[in-house]
Amino acid sequence: MRTFKTMLKNEMKLSLRDMNMVIFAICIPLVVLIILGIIYGNKPASPGAAYTFLEQSFGALTTIAVCAGGVMGLPLVVSDYRSRKILKRFKVTPVSPAVILAVQVAIYTIYSVASLILLYIVSALFFGFHMGGSMIAFLGSYLLVMLSIFSIGMMVGGISPNSQTASVIASLLYFPMLIFSGATLPYEVMPSALQKVADILPLTQGIKLLKAASLGLPIENVFVPIIVMVVLAAICIGVSLRFFKWE
Amino acid sequence: MNEIISVKQLSKSYGGLTAVQGLDLSVTQGTVFGLLGANGAGKSTTIECVLGTRKFDAGTVSILGMNPLLQRKQLFENVGVQFQEANYQDKVTVAELCEVTQSLYRNAADYGELLKQFDIAGKTKSMVKELSGGQRQKLFIVLALIPQPKVVFLDELTTGLDAKARREVWKILSDLKEKGLTIFLTSHFMDEVEALCDTICILKKGKAVFYGTVEEAIADSPYDKFEDAYLWYSDEEVSENENI
Repeated sequence: MRTFKTMLKNEMKLSLRDMNMVIFAICIPLVVLIILGIIYGNKPASPGAAYTFLEQSFGALTTIAVCAGGVMGLPLVVSDYRSRKILKRFKVTPVSPAVILAVQVAIYTIYSVASLILLYIVSALFFGFHMGGSMIAFLGSYLLVMLSIFSIGMMVGGISPNSQTASVIASLLYFPMLIFSGATLPYEVMPSALQKVADILPLTQGIKLLKAASLGLPIENVFVPIIVMVVLAAICIGVSLRFFKWE
Repeated sequence: MNEIISVKQLSKSYGGLTAVQGLDLSVTQGTVFGLLGANGAGKSTTIECVLGTRKFDAGTVSILGMNPLLQRKQLFENVGVQFQEANYQDKVTVAELCEVTQSLYRNAADYGELLKQFDIAGKTKSMVKELSGGQRQKLFIVLALIPQPKVVFLDELTTGLDAKARREVWKILSDLKEKGLTIFLTSHFMDEVEALCDTICILKKGKAVFYGTVEEAIADSPYDKFEDAYLWYSDEEVSENENI
């Protein structure tokens, strides 16, 4: 636990010095929120809808930070430490791969939660946002999205042979998820063919849960996305620890 | 005498190229062991195989009676390592690197004391990448000593240090040895080897061509200076007959 705390404190400092995550996880979602807020304001999501366009998009916006951290930040940092042979130095100490990965997961959890709080405050203060559904269901869904996205990141970071490979895999995961899952481009405005493709992405399922929770909408087969995301997380975490590469 | 490091019939090849072949080493407690040889003779491969950061093809390795691959977490509570190239995060400071290293061990030393001993206590707030080569080298020796190890591995111990700093490092290591620390090192400086090592092994193309004390190495050679003797053992032209 002492190891975890000390590493977390220092890795957080290093991450803040780097600024990348401040931009991608904190600033970008905020900018998207403000743009959507200015364009659509308090207009209803569709004619006659009981909630605004912004309220409909809120759940998706909160996942941008999760994706930036989980799919870009986490695997790139871990594979960078592998290329720089920092992990090799750790291998000749008593520290376990689980602690190294847990520290990184904790860092991106902090970014994600900070982004969530910031988005909530800004949208409530300036764009009349109102959480129509259950806050607990929303937070539960958010946790689940973090779990599944971070576990993908752990796996990519844990086993990529080098940072170039990690970076290619991260981009292949990050950009389609960011664009097609509804995190930036609203799912509702996509043609139905594209919606079908987007449905395969785990983030799309997560955003559906978040949306239902934040708008207080009923959702069919709520257990399907939950089970899919939990199973995915268990497999990815298992693989990342079992096949962790120090070098 | 307590055997701290035991290597038996260690072999490792990369593709068809033999890096280490049939190497036997034994290091007893409170002694300094020097692994010598030209670049590419197999020193670093040997250290990495012994530490478990590289898989080997044949042989057995044990440190403090433990298998470095199977009992990694337990073993490395008591082993300090300084690798040839320093590996650290781009924007990390000296204090941060020391603090994290300290947090990894149950019985870690106070790093402030060690930094003082090595004369780099004034650098705690500096970025590691901004240190001079010598300061960085000292820092990584400090990191290897933070666990209060029973045995320490130092790959190219004083490369980059000036003459005075080298003497200081030798003194510190000699004192630690008196207190029972076992040291495994590689070096390209023969004065350093003479000053520190109780036992040496000279590698050539992955094979031990000499194993014993510095005095024995001189006595068994046609020379009376150790550096000449070392070159005689490791030089390829003089000992063609051994390459068959």
